[in-house]
Parts: sequence; C-alpha cells; structure tokens
Amino acid sequence: MKGNKIAITGIGETAFLRKGEETVMQMMTRASLAAIADAGLTPADIDGHVSNKYVGHPSEEVAHAIGAATRRFTAVADTAGGTATTGDALRLAQLAIEAGLARHVLVPYAIRSTKPGGVYGFHAREPQKAGLEMPAGFFGQPTYFATMANRYAHEFGMTEEELASVSMTYRAWAALTPSAQKRDPMDLETYRQTPMIATPLRVADCCLTTDGGGAYVVSAVEAARDLPHPVISVQGVGIGYNNYPHGVLFTQKPCTFDYPGWDSAAQAYAMAGVDPKDLNLAQVYDGFSISAIVQTEMLGLCDRGEGARFYAAGHAKPGGRMPINTSGGHMSGGYVPGINLLIEAVRQLRGQEGDRQVPDARLCAVAGLGGNNHSTTILARD
Amino acid sequence: MGIPIYPVHLEDPLFQGFYDGLDAGELRITADAETGEWVWYPPEVVPGRPDAVLEWRPVSAEGKAYSFTTVIRSLLPGDHKAEVPYTVILFEPDDAPGVRIAGILVDDDGVEPACDMRLHFRPVEAGDHRIAGFAPVRR
Repeated sequence: MKGNKIAITGIGETAFLRKGEETVMQMMTRASLAAIADAGLTPADIDGHVSNKYVGHPSEEVAHAIGAATRRFTAVADTAGGTATTGDALRLAQLAIEAGLARHVLVPYAIRSTKPGGVYGFHAREPQKAGLEMPAGFFGQPTYFATMANRYAHEFGMTEEELASVSMTYRAWAALTPSAQKRDPMDLETYRQTPMIATPLRVADCCLTTDGGGAYVVSAVEAARDLPHPVISVQGVGIGYNNYPHGVLFTQKPCTFDYPGWDSAAQAYAMAGVDPKDLNLAQVYDGFSISAIVQTEMLGLCDRGEGARFYAAGHAKPGGRMPINTSGGHMSGGYVPGINLLIEAVRQLRGQEGDRQVPDARLCAVAGLGGNNHSTTILARD
Repeated sequence: MGIPIYPVHLEDPLFQGFYDGLDAGELRITADAETGEWVWYPPEVVPGRPDAVLEWRPVSAEGKAYSFTTVIRSLLPGDHKAEVPYTVILFEPDDAPGVRIAGILVDDDGVEPACDMRLHFRPVEAGDHRIAGFAPVRR
C-alpha cells in the first residue's frame, strides 16, 4: 500500500457533552451529514462505508439514516479504540478506493459513555476478568493503566510533576479550543485537587466521559483536488497487533505497557517516507496520561523512557517544538475514541484553527491505541 | 486498608480450581497436564493444541510484585465505598515466570507497595469467599 493515494475530504463532529440526550445513531447521523457537507458532497455521493464493530450499528443503518440511495462497498474495522477509527478505517477505505469499489467512503463513529453499565461494561463480560480479577478488586481501565504507570515509573523513573505535565499540556490546548469539554486552566495544584482513582492516576489523568460523535469522508487524492478544502492526504498508515486477547492483556503480557505502537509507527513512517523529525505536530490517543506518554515515545518524538520528561519540559505545549493533542485530546477535549484526534489533525493541516493553529502545519502523526492493536497514521497537506 | 467484596461468578467452570485452591490454603494455577507447562489465565483453547487438557497445580507461594495500585475509588459495579482503599498486587510466583495473579496486599504494616517487592501468598476472607492476599516478605 502506498501513500498519497487517498485524502480526508470532509470532517464533522457533534457537540461533546458530559451527558447528552441523543442516541448513538442520531449523533453518527449528525456527524456524518456534517462531514459530507464539509466535503462539498451529498449523501448520494457516498458509496462506501466503514463501520465499527463496537458501535453496534452496521453501515446499512447509517446509509439509510443519511439518506444514501445505495452502497457499493462496506467493511467493518476489526480493531478497537483509536486503531479502528484513525488507522484501520483509512486502510480499508484506501483498499476500496484503489480497487475502484468506491469513490467516497464514509467513516462514522459515536459514543454514549453515559450509557447504563458505563464504559467498562465490556470488561465485566470478559470471563477472565469476571472470574479472576474483579473479585480481587482489579477492575476498570484507570486501575489497569495505574499498574502500567507504576511499572513504567519503576523502570524509567517518573515524578508526580512529570505525570501531571501531560494533563496540564492537553488542558492548555483545550483552553484555546471553544468546543473542548474542560477548558479551565490547570496547574499542578489544581491537578492535585482532582480525586485520586487508583495510584498514581487521578481523574485528571483519565479521558473524559463524553457523549458525542464524529465522522469523516475519504476520497481519492485526485477527486479531492476538485473538492472545497486543501487536500489532506494520507501518507502513511501502520497497524501493529499482538495476539494477547483483551481478557489477559492487562496482566499477562510480559510488559503491559508495551503496546504494538513501535511496529505501527515503523510501518507508517516507511510508507510515508518521513521521519519523526519531519512532523510539525501530533495527536496521541490519550485514554490515560501514562498511555499517552508511552505512545509519544513510540512515535519517536522522544527517546524511550523519556516521555514524561518530554511533556514536563513543555515541548508539547502551545508554542512548544512538537505540539500534541492540540484540541485538548481525550483528557480535556472530549473522548470520542480516536476520531476527534484525526479530525483535529485535518483541521490543523487545513490551517483553520485560529488561536491554536500550529504555524505552517504540514505533517501530522495520529497515534491510535486499541488494546492489543495500535495504529499510526501520517497526514500531510499538499 | 480495606478488602474488596465482589461475588465470584463461576458460571464458567474454568476458574473453579483457583478458588478451590484458596479454600485449601494454596495458590493454584493451570498447567498443561501433558507437558506440565503453566498456562495462565486458563484459556478456552490452549494455543495450537485444542485437545490439550489443563489441570490445577500449586504454584510457589513466594514471588514478587510485577506492579500494583492502591484503589481509592472502586470501579466495580455496585457501591464499594466502604471497601477502599486497598492495594491490588499483580503477583509473579517464583516458579512460574511470566505468570501474574491478581490479589491484594495484606499485613503490610505500613510498608509502601513497590514493583519487584518480595511477597508471600496468604488467602484472605472476602465476604463468602476467599481471594489471594500477598504479604511483604521480611528478612
């Protein structure tokens, strides 16, 4: 698969709310129609669909909801979290477009974090967790990632101030982002005032609870040149996998924080023919501060074990040499897994961001984590 | 420190042997009955060997912490405010490299939890069942 063949031609989002009233289908439809309009297209132009196996609504429902007459290509991203929305879906869209099976592929996503059972309900249904972990009180992603953070600190060293700098960095970007959920300034003292969940992770170290949706349209680069926006092309996509099922991933993997991001980044940079030093900015899947630290290392933005100190040095803040999560990420902007990070990357590369615009942004990496899978995507402005 | 109280759902018989071991005062995990290799957590299918049979065997009561976290806000379904804080330990038995067993820190006498700290197993009452506890080894 080669880079510079497809482009993201349309993007759309709903409002990101702590608790919304709309269903997942309503939010996906709203975001999809916004993305299609943004691309200068109509629903009748959408002939390809990539759906997400965790959303629970296949493409036939979305196609009907947006008023598309027919479908020529459909696929389901067989990965989770950010991998599905920011890597896998793009790869499937490129396969379809290059094969001539579709011209404009819609990728929609929405989440109701406030649904009954909460965001951890799927873990409770995993037999190993229900049988061997929950009775020991080991349950919920903040708890899992807290054990990763303690192991990481043991291996590489990490102070409270360094950990906190991740949250503070993303909050500084959110303060410049009108649509972000959490915009109040955060310093070390306000960080410390947020409740501890599982040491060392506080509420401020965790992604937000969000009801919201996002969508984008993928088209061939040649077709994108006839559409309204600057061409934002996909230069590289890499996906790494390991074969640890989610039921054992957070305990039995030799290094529990060694996500398959080294592999995905190597693939993406090779496909794009660029190096980390060529990037102007990055979007990193920040389910938790610790996972953002590790993925920042995996993208090659700093050395292994230096991620927390990279943030503490201010490199990722507004005005820093490598801006990261420029709309506040999942921890301050909104948690619509991966897709709002990809959409923010497109906006930055279009040069539309006003106060938070990264000057001359031309190349952006997007890292997506999905448990036992990980994606790296490199986007570029023509 | 508190103790998490959460019912053991054993609709899946794959895990019964673990709790039978705790009731007998032993830490037991699953091994391939033919090769003797530890296979943990017990999977529905042993990778590459769908005919393999697993059996429960005692594992070393001595080991170390791969990692830990002190839970301040329990995320278990239901109301568990009265049970926190407690410290979860991911325990690695000495004779089963790479195996990790979730339990809680007990008898710590103020010892700060740490990765690689030496621990020994001790079952703990948690409502109507037992869970794995791990106490610091004092030398």
